[in-house]
Amino acid sequence: MPEFLTWKDRRKVESFRRIGEDLILGQVTIELDQCTGCGSCVNACPAASLEVKDKKAKMTEVFPMCFSCGNCTAICPENAITITRFIEFKRFYRYLDRGEPQRPRKF
Amino acid sequence: MAELAIETEELEKPKIRPPEPGADFNLVEDVIYRRRSNRSYLKKQVPEYLLRRILEAGRFAPSAGNAQPWKFIVVQDQKMIAEMTQDVVKVCQMGKRFLDYLEPGKAALEGLTKVVQRLRKNEMHPIPLGAMFLIAEGKLGVWHGAPTVIPILVDRRAPGKPFVDVGIAGQNMVLTAHSLGLGTCWVSFIQPLEYFPKWRKKLGLRYPYKLVTSIALGYPKGNPDGYVNRETQAIDWFGEDGTFKVVY
Repeated sequence: MPEFLTWKDRRKVESFRRIGEDLILGQVTIELDQCTGCGSCVNACPAASLEVKDKKAKMTEVFPMCFSCGNCTAICPENAITITRFIEFKRFYRYLDRGEPQRPRKF
Repeated sequence: MAELAIETEELEKPKIRPPEPGADFNLVEDVIYRRRSNRSYLKKQVPEYLLRRILEAGRFAPSAGNAQPWKFIVVQDQKMIAEMTQDVVKVCQMGKRFLDYLEPGKAALEGLTKVVQRLRKNEMHPIPLGAMFLIAEGKLGVWHGAPTVIPILVDRRAPGKPFVDVGIAGQNMVLTAHSLGLGTCWVSFIQPLEYFPKWRKKLGLRYPYKLVTSIALGYPKGNPDGYVNRETQAIDWFGEDGTFKVVY
């Protein structure tokens, strides 16, 4: 069945104050053993959600507005980064008709 | 059974033979799947012949009624890019001042911000809104040090949906650039420059032209291109035999 917004959804815009409820941010996991702290992921991130601390990359603690674009996973020379959570809007901006994430597929 | 659109004879001697099921990606597909937005560039300037090659790909994009409703501008003047960046940052700072309800003591702004979001639901979507705050704070660049910026204008009098045509032309250029080993990033944060009479004059933003977006272009630092995971999307499929299915 196609998805639509309910009237209740349409009345409410997601609040940055309700992260985790209205708005679930993306998340990446960094294999610390493989990370060399080169910082290329920090430059690639469109949301300034990554930083290098103690020669290891990590997500910022304050407001990492990650929208799971995957730029960091693609640029990492050590392949140390994977997306572990995709961004989700729960109200007005809810993404519709999405399925499981996958790589480019061959048919 | 419906009549075949092509004669059988033509099917036997095609110019390009479609691949068998499960075959590898061809070169075009591979460029499409590997293209990632690039946000750090080498200082080295893109030579004119490569840039001309890229712009040429834009020229041959499909458009409604072959109206070609775009105008490309090439900016390689580093001083000008710096000035444009400064002015975009200024607008973002102003926006942040009025809209950032996360700042201490500004919680009361939340209602206003949400009204603005509903009125300008695309520009003020939480993602660009967040980016606006980051640019204002200097945490996120605008053109990320790209040596070349290509602002794109649309001719608003064109038939059909000129904004779509402009997007198609832009993507032609972006894919060509990536196939040549260059990096690009779509930057629509150029739009606030419309508010400055100085830029209206310099970029020729007079009717019928409107500034839509821009492309940052340069040699990438490292290897930003590669495959990523991405959500699949529901595709409604009305089959030949009257069946209906949803594929992902």
